[in-house]
Amino acid sequence: MLRLLHFVCIASLIAAVLWTPSRARAAGPEDELPEGEGKKILVASCTACHDLSEVTKFRGYYDRTQWHDIVVTMMDYGAPVDEKQVEVLADYLAEHLGKK
Amino acid sequence: MNAVTYRRVLLAALLLTASSAAGAQVRIIQTNSQGDNIHLIDPLTNQIVGEVKGVPINHGAAGAPDGSRLYFSSEAEQALHVIDGKSLQLVKKIPLSGRPNNISISRDGRKVYVGIVSSPGAVDVIDTASLERVKSIPTKGGIHNVYVTPDGKYLVAGSIAGKLMTVIDQKTEEPVWTLFQEGIRPMAFETNPDGSTKRIFVQLSDYHGFAVVDFAQRKEVARLELPNDVPPEKVDKGPFNASPSHGIGVAPDGKTLWVTSRPNARVYTYSLPDLKLMPGYVDLGGRPDWVTFTPDSQRLYIATENTDTVVAIDVAARKEITRIKVGKSPKRNITWVSRATS
Repeated sequence: MLRLLHFVCIASLIAAVLWTPSRARAAGPEDELPEGEGKKILVASCTACHDLSEVTKFRGYYDRTQWHDIVVTMMDYGAPVDEKQVEVLADYLAEHLGKK
Repeated sequence: MNAVTYRRVLLAALLLTASSAAGAQVRIIQTNSQGDNIHLIDPLTNQIVGEVKGVPINHGAAGAPDGSRLYFSSEAEQALHVIDGKSLQLVKKIPLSGRPNNISISRDGRKVYVGIVSSPGAVDVIDTASLERVKSIPTKGGIHNVYVTPDGKYLVAGSIAGKLMTVIDQKTEEPVWTLFQEGIRPMAFETNPDGSTKRIFVQLSDYHGFAVVDFAQRKEVARLELPNDVPPEKVDKGPFNASPSHGIGVAPDGKTLWVTSRPNARVYTYSLPDLKLMPGYVDLGGRPDWVTFTPDSQRLYIATENTDTVVAIDVAARKEITRIKVGKSPKRNITWVSRATS
């Protein structure tokens, strides 16, 4: 019985070490983005329809006006972003994925 | 095969033979929506034989009918890239009125039409002689795909945001009629014996199948749902950009309609003109996005965007021939008869 308990404890320790969040799934585009209100909106409103890579692929190409245009277009597509969130999201995208 | 279709196939074969003698070749042009390159595939060998570089986040592709040029829309640069068909080098970048999606070219090659997806939406008209944007046709909602009908007489523009299909007179560049109240996705065209448009097969947002539009009546006459023939545990749950069925094409010989399913990762075939689902399917191994045929209707190429692969299919046998690794997230593809050896 003691031997079995010992085995279970060791196995649990190994599993805990191996099963960290980073090993639970491959790093995705969302992992590259800093936390913030904008990221919460981005993840909540965009990933129901498409992978985040459909957003991060534009990294470095668009200024704030163009990111704003993307947000508005996606709202037209049905993305659940309310009026107050538009500017927050456009700011976030311009700051972290915008043209430098 | 009726007489007109037979004559068309014969003409296509003669043109291909003549163009082969002149050094022209058939190429499958495969865009890569998360990359800056485009691949040219030789359907005889199914090998990549050319690459266009420097078109970031490319979306639409069109080939000049005389084989002299290729055109690609760049979402990142909001520009149309004009590429020399021989050297595959950039000729010019033409600024667009907004962020582009798919493009199309007139039958005579004189105009390129670019769907502008940015609000409020438009179809930009590019003059291929001056290489300038000469007009923007306003639309209700941003345009995702724009087509020229097989007879060249109309443009058909689909809007996801505007939930509208708009038919535009090619000569006057004015809208003629509209249809639907749903997001419009890819389309395919069936022709009458005289070449005019008989029916449009239209994929719609959040619909696993397609609608059938009678062009003369200007109305939807049927809606066909794709089979749910995959065990639930094997069905891909997405996300699918709200477009579970994306990728549709009528074979050039007019005998079959091919329709893809993202959840099932399969392509299904319907016989034409009766629109009967043919038994069987071809597994694609990923999420399909777009389809294109060789002019002789013998081969079909389907881009699967989440596997970075193009699946080559034997149309008559309805079997996979091979899978070709391309760039990142391949989507739109076209068939182009090039003037030169590339």
